[in-house]
Amino acid sequence: MNAYINGYELLCDAGNTQDLMEAIYAKKSAITIDESYLEDVTAGLGKMEYDTIFDVLEDVAEVVLKESNLENFHNTLLILGSSVGGMQECEDIFYSQKSYKNIDPDRYSMNVLTDHLSAKFGFYDTRALSTACTSSANALLLAKRLIDVEAYDNILVVGADGLCYSTVLGFSALGVLSDRVCTPFDKDRNGMNVSEAVAMLLIQNVKTDNSIELKGVGASSDAYHMTNPDPEATGAISSMRAAIEDAGLTLDEIDYVNAHGTATPANDRVESLAIEKLFNHDVYVSSTKAITGHTLGAAGAVEAIVSCEVIKKSLIPPQTGLKNQENKNINIPTESVSMGVKNIVSNSFAFGGNNTSILVGVCS
Amino acid sequence: MKKVALKILSSSKIYAKTKIEDLDEKRLVPSMMLRRRLTRNSKVMLYLSDKCGFNGTKIVYGTCYSELQEAAKMANAVITNGLLSPTSFQNSVYNTAPSYYSLIHKDRDEIITVSSGMKTSLDTLKTAALQALVSKEKILCVAVECINIENIEEVNRCTDYLEAGVAIVVEISDDMTDAKEIEDHKIDGIIDSLQDLMSVVGIHDDGIDKILVEL
Repeated sequence: MNAYINGYELLCDAGNTQDLMEAIYAKKSAITIDESYLEDVTAGLGKMEYDTIFDVLEDVAEVVLKESNLENFHNTLLILGSSVGGMQECEDIFYSQKSYKNIDPDRYSMNVLTDHLSAKFGFYDTRALSTACTSSANALLLAKRLIDVEAYDNILVVGADGLCYSTVLGFSALGVLSDRVCTPFDKDRNGMNVSEAVAMLLIQNVKTDNSIELKGVGASSDAYHMTNPDPEATGAISSMRAAIEDAGLTLDEIDYVNAHGTATPANDRVESLAIEKLFNHDVYVSSTKAITGHTLGAAGAVEAIVSCEVIKKSLIPPQTGLKNQENKNINIPTESVSMGVKNIVSNSFAFGGNNTSILVGVCS
Repeated sequence: MKKVALKILSSSKIYAKTKIEDLDEKRLVPSMMLRRRLTRNSKVMLYLSDKCGFNGTKIVYGTCYSELQEAAKMANAVITNGLLSPTSFQNSVYNTAPSYYSLIHKDRDEIITVSSGMKTSLDTLKTAALQALVSKEKILCVAVECINIENIEEVNRCTDYLEAGVAIVVEISDDMTDAKEIEDHKIDGIIDSLQDLMSVVGIHDDGIDKILVEL
C-alpha cells in the first residue's frame, strides 16, 4: 500500500506554511538575535508567538482536520516526534521553585503532548518517539511503514518542540550556537540557531487530487561519536541511499535534497561530503534552517512540509545567507530555481549518530 | 487493527530498589574512558542486550523518563552556577542508551526510541513488531527506567524500584498458530511504563515463545 501526504500545516518562527514558504523564497530569515535569553550570550533564536505549546498543537491539528477528508481523528493513529515533550513547563517550575515538589511527572515526559491532543480529538491510539533531532523524521518513517503493511488507514504525524532554556544552554555549552542568523554551507558559518515549531502531516493510504507521495524512508547509525558525525559520512550516505532504494528510485531521479544543514561546522561539512559522494549528478541542495532555525525534534516534519510545497510550487528554494560556499562540489542555488520537481530527499541527523532520510515525490 | 506473530528468541529483566549493583560493565565496555561516560540507562541496556545474546542490527528502545540523572545534573547546575556540562547535555537525550550500544558494538543499523508515558513498553513492542515485519531481521526490543536521583521522593509516586529494565529479542513468525495473546504477568512495584514488556518476559519464562502483537 502506498503512503500519501494528504494534508499538512505548521507554525514556526516564520508563521504558518504559507508564511514560511514566502519567507524561504524571499530569503527573509525569521531568526531574531537575542541578548537576554541566556545570560552573557548573544544567540540567534527562532521564536513562535504563542501562549502555550498545547494551544499551538490544538490550532494546527484543527487546520489539518478541517482541510482533510476526515470528519474526526477517531480512526487515526497519532505519532509524535519531540525532543523535549513537557520539559518547557517543568523546567520553569524547577528553576523558579528550586524543587521537584510541584512538578507533575505526567507532564514531564513526551506523552504529555500526545495525551493533550488525544483528549481534545479522540485519536484511535497514540505513540511518541524521541530520537533528538530526528524525532519527527522517525515518526514519518514509522508512519510510512505502518501504511505499507496495511496496519492503519490514517496517521497524523506531529513534530513539536518548544524552546527550552536547558536546550539552548546545552547547545551553548557545546559551543555550536551562532550569535547571528545561521549560514548553512558557508565557509564562514559559525553555528546553529535553536528554534521551535509544531508541524503536522496527515498520511493516508488513499490518493487525492492534492497528494504528495511519501515514497521512501531510510535510517542508519553512525556508530562513531555521540555528537560529532562520522567524517567519512558513511551514516548519512547510508540513510539517503536506503530511502532512495525504499522508493524504488535511482539516484538521478532525485531533483533536490532538503538538507539537515544546521550550519554547525561539523554537520555541514559531513552532509556536503555525503551528497557529493552519493549523487552522480548536480542534484540541487539547500537548507531552510537559515529561515526557520533548527526546530530540533520538529525539524523532520517541518522540512517534510517544505519539501511537499517545493514539489507543488515547482520551485527549488535558494540558500539564504550563502556568500562563500565551502564545498563547491555540490549544487547549492543562491536564487530560486523554477523547474518540475518530482522527487526530494529530506535529511535529519541527530545526537548519537542517528540519521533519517525521507523521500517525497509526485504520485507514481 | 493488524496483528502479527512474534517469536521470542531470548529475554531478560533486572530491577533494584535503589541501584542495580552488578552490570558487568568492565567486561561489556573495556574502554575506561567510554565506560566513564555511560549513563545508568546505557549500562542497564548494555547489560540486558548482552543477557539476550543480541549481536546487533535494529534496536527499538523505550523509556518514559529517559536519562533523569543527566537531566537532574543539568537542572541543578543551572540553579547552582548557571553552567552546564556538555557531556551531561549530550547524554540527556532519549536515544542516549541505544546510541552508546551502537557506538560500542559498531552497530550501524536503525535505532528508534519510544517514549509513550506509561504505555512506553507496549508501544516499544509494537514498534519492534513493525520493524521485525518490515525487515525480517532479529530486533532488540528493550525498555529501561533509571530514576534514582537525589530528592526523587519529592515526585516519585509510580515505583518501588528506582532502576529497572527489560529486554527481548524477537523475529517475525509467518505462522500465527500457537501464538498467544500477552497475559498479565506484571511485577508489583515496577513502574507501569515497563510492565507490558515485563509481562512478555514473564510468559516467556513460562515457556511461551510466540506472541500476538497489534501493530
